[in-house]
Amino acid sequence: MANHSTSTPTHVHHHFVDGDQQFDTAKLGMWIFLVNEILFFGGLFCAYIVYRAWYPELFQMAALELNTFWGAVNTVVLIGSSLTVAMAIRSAQKDQMKGLKINLLITIALAVVFMVIKGFEYSHKFHLGIFPGEFYTYEGLEHPKAAIFFSIYYMLTGVHALHVLIGIGLIYWIYLRAKRGEFSSDYYTPVEITGLYWHLVDLIWIFLFPLLYLIE
Amino acid sequence: MSEHNHEHHISTAGQLWAVGTALFILTIITVVFAKFVAIPPPFDVITAISIALVKAFLVAAFFMNLYWDVKFNAMLLIMAVAFFILMISITLLDTLYRNDVVPSF
Repeated sequence: MANHSTSTPTHVHHHFVDGDQQFDTAKLGMWIFLVNEILFFGGLFCAYIVYRAWYPELFQMAALELNTFWGAVNTVVLIGSSLTVAMAIRSAQKDQMKGLKINLLITIALAVVFMVIKGFEYSHKFHLGIFPGEFYTYEGLEHPKAAIFFSIYYMLTGVHALHVLIGIGLIYWIYLRAKRGEFSSDYYTPVEITGLYWHLVDLIWIFLFPLLYLIE
Repeated sequence: MSEHNHEHHISTAGQLWAVGTALFILTIITVVFAKFVAIPPPFDVITAISIALVKAFLVAAFFMNLYWDVKFNAMLLIMAVAFFILMISITLLDTLYRNDVVPSF
């Protein structure tokens, strides 16, 4: 049973045996949330697959409206941010609080770069009249279902961008807590958990990029 | 299980950079294959998805630390993917075999 004879660190809640059990439990909870996220995006990917199977020629035509270069830049930016999050966790594990804070700040900066590029891409499309669903007014694509591709595009990238925005908020919150000196190699669970979330955002984009931008 | 006090795995900076570099290179390969190599369909999609799966494996195993983590978390991810494939399969069994696509679709 629980052994409380040794001094229990303050961050360990009373219903856990020790810090390790609390860490593993928090991580398990996060993974179950990530399973939800995968199946939530899965529904959108499912819509993509069904419509691509129905209208393959539409997807080839419409993908040409997306800028491969900026899509590739954003892929590199997100992978870079995943790397800095991993480095942030490593810093926390090694009690390097300065490295932790710097890596978190670089991650936020990269996430902001991602959002700015995404913003330019969206505004360019809005300018052309490429809106989702019934608001679609672009006439450059000769296909009766042209609006459907972009409805799927906006849903997938929009929900993903929402995740990036939430991620920026979470990582900034982790940064503030790191600044207050709340983390150490003994306790960095929130850094680890937020890192898992951020890696998932990266994972989703790894599939979105070839599926939306690279159809030839 | 609570008896042994296991150490958390700490990746070296070199390991993390190696994974990051592999991801960058695979991104370039994806773009080159899609834009400059004429692969006949459906193999173009298969190539793109295969590379994406390798990248996803690298992120999940070495950035999300599943490689060193308790196996249960890896099982959760595998189950999520399995149920995702099940969802697509059942949906496609319907949508691929309709005589007429529903007009408003």
